[in-house]
Amino acid sequence: MDFDFSDEQEQLRDAVRKWVDKAYDFERRRAIVAAGGFDRAAYGEMAELGLTGLFVSEAHGGMGMGPNEAMVTLEELGRGIVLEPLAQTLIASATLQTHAPTALQAAWLSRMAEGTALVVLAHQERGARYQLQRCTTQATQSGGQWTLTGNKSLVAAGDQADAFIVPAMVNGSGGQASPEMGLFLVERNASGVRTQAYGTQDGSRAAEVAMNAAPGQLITLNGLSALEEAVDIGMACACAEAVGVMDKTLAITVEYMNTRKQFGVNIASFQALRHRVADMKMQLELGRSMSYYATLKLHAPAPERRRALARAKYQLGTSMRFIGQQAVQLHGGIAVTDEYIVSHYFKKLTQLDMTFGDTLHQLGEVSARMQDTAGVFA
Amino acid sequence: MGDKYIVNGQKTWTTLGQYGEWIFCLVRTSNEGKPQTGISFLLIDMKSPGITVRPIKLLDGECEVNEVWFDNVEVPAENLVGEENKGWNYAKHLLAHERTNIADVNRAKRELERLKRIAKTEGVYDDLRFRDEIAKLEVDIVALEMLVLRVLSAEKSGKNSLDIAGLLKIRGSEIQQRYAELMMQAAGPFSLPSIFEAMDAGWQGNFPGGVLANAPLAGNYFNMRKTTIYGGSNEVQRNIVAQTVLG
Repeated sequence: MDFDFSDEQEQLRDAVRKWVDKAYDFERRRAIVAAGGFDRAAYGEMAELGLTGLFVSEAHGGMGMGPNEAMVTLEELGRGIVLEPLAQTLIASATLQTHAPTALQAAWLSRMAEGTALVVLAHQERGARYQLQRCTTQATQSGGQWTLTGNKSLVAAGDQADAFIVPAMVNGSGGQASPEMGLFLVERNASGVRTQAYGTQDGSRAAEVAMNAAPGQLITLNGLSALEEAVDIGMACACAEAVGVMDKTLAITVEYMNTRKQFGVNIASFQALRHRVADMKMQLELGRSMSYYATLKLHAPAPERRRALARAKYQLGTSMRFIGQQAVQLHGGIAVTDEYIVSHYFKKLTQLDMTFGDTLHQLGEVSARMQDTAGVFA
Repeated sequence: MGDKYIVNGQKTWTTLGQYGEWIFCLVRTSNEGKPQTGISFLLIDMKSPGITVRPIKLLDGECEVNEVWFDNVEVPAENLVGEENKGWNYAKHLLAHERTNIADVNRAKRELERLKRIAKTEGVYDDLRFRDEIAKLEVDIVALEMLVLRVLSAEKSGKNSLDIAGLLKIRGSEIQQRYAELMMQAAGPFSLPSIFEAMDAGWQGNFPGGVLANAPLAGNYFNMRKTTIYGGSNEVQRNIVAQTVLG
């Protein structure tokens, strides 16, 4: 097995890293958080780099790239704890490209690639926790027009997005008595859509989205498996982003330990602290390994893919909690201030764990999906 | 001394030494220079006069390791491996190739399967509290396998993987201890009867609880405590990892 990155992937990594280092420094990020947690200009800069069109086919003006390139990109965005939700764009473009009718693809994909349209997944409901099949939003069809009614929570940049991908239950569709799930595209400016936005703990932005007979366009009636695919892409993105955040968190901690003096010597000289750093390095590399694994398995058959992604996200959740908490402890008091950068990395790590299923949820998924044999190839 | 070496001294923790016909030893042949120099790599016939082997009984009741004494043992000069006083270089070479093996991923995958079988037999596989512990171990083993694959990939393309290779021993040994512990816990009190003969092939006796496979589980758990101690204790390994990260 070969884990070397291609020249093209290294160039992509360099380009994103340069943008993060030069254009998205801590002061700009702080200003974006103060202004609400989402900056259309910054998002536009990511579009200029081609990132918003990463998954979009060249026919629709995108780069037509795959999971490996997404992973490389998200690691670098994670390193800079970039607020604008590129993962959402990757999820939405992959979902539309795989499942939506061609007219719907034509209407949205090229605008998404050029960054003028932001489409995000609106799937979480109060009471469903991370269970994807628990959905109370209803879709009904009348005169060839679908309308949706229900409430979605914690929708990324929900009051800034141009449209949502929404799972909803379709009553008696396809002649079946039991309801099944459909995926729909609902425009934010459509009638019957209301959003209520707020900041989240990592400094980014989310919203409650209420739909009352809001018009939607059908993406697919095979909604649950399409939603599972979408969420698995989201999980792989969260894993890759986590690797970047953890990598930078450890680097900041190491730099601090080699500068901060106590009893006349650098605190990096104390063995109790050095062993903690060795354990952080362990969690980082286990996490990086499982992020690679998540990316590798993204196109595997659904049962294998779901099991693999749950394993990966469980590892990343464990790693993120350890590295975040230890980074704070090793810094000491300065790490619990808002002024110092590491507290922001800690909050990002904490929020990423709860993005697309937290550690305990993933453990349950792994546990339920265990088979007699297990390994990277099983 | 001309055509032969005279060896004096004591080696310990010699694994399965009581069955060995030959032993390879690092012996000091010079006191000049740094401590690492002046060591030579010798092959010694265990039947040579002056060699005494004493098996050491371990906490699981087995004699896995030995003390070996050398009292004026004569070794033909032709039994020197490579050049005199360069033995440490050869030993380092061997240790470097041990890195990916020491993680023992394939054994871990096999033992995970065995753990699941034991848990099913003992009726704890459907106890979520127990099953989740198996699930955690399963993730740990997949992550270890990915880590090993990364090291192998890096070595194949000639890249430096030292910073992650140092992690393999720590993680591999922790996992070995974990599956041994979970197997014992799966059998619970039926891992406690200490009946040595029950581990011999073809034993026809009555093992308490009726499941013969439980007989070695506690002993195995006790034995596996060695893994975080040998091959450079895990604390020493952490020093090495910390050095690569902190300088």
